[in-house]
Amino acid sequence: MRVPYKVILIYLLGFGLLDSAQAILPIEKLDTYKGAKAYLVQTKTLPMVDIEVSIDAGDRYDPAGKSGLADMTAGLMNYGARGEKGLLSEAQIADEIADLGANIGLSVGGERAILRIRTLSRKDLRDRAVQLASAMLSTPTYDSNILAREKQRTITSLLEAETKPDYVLERRFKKMIYGTYPLADSPSVKSVGAITVSDLQKFHQQFYRGDRMIVSIVGDVDQAQANEIVQTLLNRIPRSGPAIAPLPQLERSPIEPLAQREVQIPFDSQQAHIAMGMTAVARNNPDYFPLLVGNYVLGGGGFVSRLMSEVREKRGLAYSVFSYFAPGKDTGTFQAGLQTKSDQGSLALEVMSDTIAKFIADGPTSSELAAAKANLVNGYPLRIDNNRKLLDNVSSIVWNDLPLETMEVWAKQVDAVTLNQVSAAFQKYLAMDRMKIVVLGAQNK
Amino acid sequence: MRFNLLRITFLFLLLIQLSWATAKDQSDTHEFQISNGLKLIIREDHRSPTVAHMVWYRAGSMDEVNGKTGVAHVLEHMMFKGTDKVKAGEFSRLVAAVGGRENAFTSRDYTAYFQQVEKSKLDEVIKLESDRMSNLNFDDAEFLKEIQVVMEERRLRTEDNPSSLLNESLMATAYMSSPYRHPVVGWMNDLQNMTAADAREWYRSWYKPNNATIVIAGDVDAKQVLATIEKYYGAVSAQELPVRKPQIEPQQKGIKQVQVKAPADSAQLAMAWKVPRLEPGKLDDPEPYALELLTAVLDGYDNARLNRTLVKQEKVVNDVGVGYDMVSRGPELFQINATMAKGKSVTQAQASIRKAIDEIKQKGVLESELKRIKVRILSEQIYKRDSIFGQAMEIVSTEMAGFSWKDIDYMLEKMQTITPEQVQAVTKKYLVDECLTIAVLYPQARKTIGQEGKQ
Repeated sequence: MRVPYKVILIYLLGFGLLDSAQAILPIEKLDTYKGAKAYLVQTKTLPMVDIEVSIDAGDRYDPAGKSGLADMTAGLMNYGARGEKGLLSEAQIADEIADLGANIGLSVGGERAILRIRTLSRKDLRDRAVQLASAMLSTPTYDSNILAREKQRTITSLLEAETKPDYVLERRFKKMIYGTYPLADSPSVKSVGAITVSDLQKFHQQFYRGDRMIVSIVGDVDQAQANEIVQTLLNRIPRSGPAIAPLPQLERSPIEPLAQREVQIPFDSQQAHIAMGMTAVARNNPDYFPLLVGNYVLGGGGFVSRLMSEVREKRGLAYSVFSYFAPGKDTGTFQAGLQTKSDQGSLALEVMSDTIAKFIADGPTSSELAAAKANLVNGYPLRIDNNRKLLDNVSSIVWNDLPLETMEVWAKQVDAVTLNQVSAAFQKYLAMDRMKIVVLGAQNK
Repeated sequence: MRFNLLRITFLFLLLIQLSWATAKDQSDTHEFQISNGLKLIIREDHRSPTVAHMVWYRAGSMDEVNGKTGVAHVLEHMMFKGTDKVKAGEFSRLVAAVGGRENAFTSRDYTAYFQQVEKSKLDEVIKLESDRMSNLNFDDAEFLKEIQVVMEERRLRTEDNPSSLLNESLMATAYMSSPYRHPVVGWMNDLQNMTAADAREWYRSWYKPNNATIVIAGDVDAKQVLATIEKYYGAVSAQELPVRKPQIEPQQKGIKQVQVKAPADSAQLAMAWKVPRLEPGKLDDPEPYALELLTAVLDGYDNARLNRTLVKQEKVVNDVGVGYDMVSRGPELFQINATMAKGKSVTQAQASIRKAIDEIKQKGVLESELKRIKVRILSEQIYKRDSIFGQAMEIVSTEMAGFSWKDIDYMLEKMQTITPEQVQAVTKKYLVDECLTIAVLYPQARKTIGQEGKQ
């Protein structure tokens, strides 16, 4: 592998959606059901359908001292539910999903929990897969023995993760960048140990309701069939629920002397790991496109970015080096990182800092800007060339409250970005005297 | 009971519905060989205006010789470092300019390069790939920087990764003479002593049209693509390839064990048995298919045997996984990996794994288990068509192992005919101690974890 998968993943996240001269399949709005909005893209060439439910129930709603609760609430949906015809054990759920040739998965990020179904589109198979997912989503059983088992498994994995340089780095970096915002806290042995069945039931009751859900569907179904899917999925979900306290604002990373912003973590590994970054913008920020295009030049554009050139191509200091904006619905961050032989930590940090500082100060050259736009615009069709990628796009558009024609105008918006806009946006949102820095395992200090 | 009946009905319907999936006609796929031996396979898929373009060389780490492990992968990196016409780094800039995504990867069996582009840009990347098949020309300074990058890659993926260290030791222990015993990235000392000349020699030996397969999947017209390929590759001449010695692994004569100590929290266990792979020309040999199905019986879905008993019921391991791939150039292992649950020992985990295997040896597997797995295999055949990249990967990795892409559907059909008795038979025959290697990771505390400090 010439570039680690992590970078490829970031590449995709950073680029989001694209638009094209080609005909774009439209996003159709379905009937709102139980307060949940729902959307469809019809693709008829394969007899399959992908369905996603996004739930506004991400890690940021973990109560103080219970980090890991949002994850556990979603994760245990796999392990027992009350179906319309009686209890479904974890074994029955798993066997039935397998027998249908379907996949049902749950994942939780900072902002949202996501349930995804992939099934063949034939009605009887599709119906049964959706019924199963509906039972998991609306009436999980939260068995205390299974909770005890899964807590123990999570704790064991956490203890293992704490021996790994990348995990320790990321956890510390999150704590610095999020400050008093709830995402600052990562799950710990103590917080996971504290989760009870009633915590799960309460969290589920509070957050898993129609007015906090969005359904996205891509595949071989028409509007009527898609509406039917939404109704089957959510028919036992309450429309609304108790009031939920608003989240605090994510405060912008403040100007601080270096000593206040940089942390060195001693770590006995062969490589030093470095993270640098600060708060940035949400996805619906009008400066999103200048930042996206600019970051392609700085550290997003695979092998051709400035960071790649300075750190890897010119100096051979690292295998992986990158920067990205991670824009969410309400908040966003900027992050750059690399790993290098432990005695090169200071040098690599210096090269990375200088490269970022120079870019904030001077912006891209006109030829760099043209190259960035060419890549993003010409590469558009690759972002939407299968059902799974289309689902990723639809999901991001509707979650972030973007216009439904976002895919159609994306390339135009990229193309309209000017040098001045890039420079102005980088100077407005990023500043070297605000950057948090974590250096783990460097052995030259 | 109602649930069982329901399940059986669904299963029955699904099997009928899916029968077309394997009986699909192959008219969307075209194979050509041009006069210099270059093989071209085109899968037309007109769902979206994009193309996956891949050039694979049948030269991987298994073709390396002693003292030069890792050279296949190092050359993969050097392939981006300039030709007579395209200077270092320019390849990636040109691919980026047409909006392409690109990467490359090396395995024990092959080295692969790919780009994904909008269909009108296909000619541009064909031209670039054809240029570096014949005209690679990097200088020593580029090599000296890039070998540092490769060493960083090894530090990142292996030296600081206990699971990788365990796997590296497992392979080096299981195999005595097969080159599969060496890691793809190479041993660190070999990387430290590698020269630009080593990389150039590798390139001159293996990067020939008669050792390459091009696969293009997506919205293309096969005839046009063939003309473009002939235009860019036609002038390249074939060359005799180095002789590949068989290096057949001698018969193992008893259990082998190895311990690895590395910074970690949980102990890990790997058990690997030497088992047969599917041999070209012997597509009807039931054993490899039965081993594939055994893999899935043990680990193919959330309620499969090992996850159910070891993770959920006995709680003796935190995670467990099974690996076997019947399609490969070199010898195959049937491998079970597990991470211990808190407070459980490797001995306990090994006993539980052995118990699960013994149960299959004695009682066999259920018809319903096999059916479930066969359904999944069939539905995956539909899902895989969502990705042209995945289709291209499947075609060419099959070719690299010495099969034809045309065999893929036959293999899938064959898989559907395997019986519980055949699965039981391979379990009895191959999952035995005489050909078993056990590797254990014993977790160590990190030596010096001091206090966090400010700058």
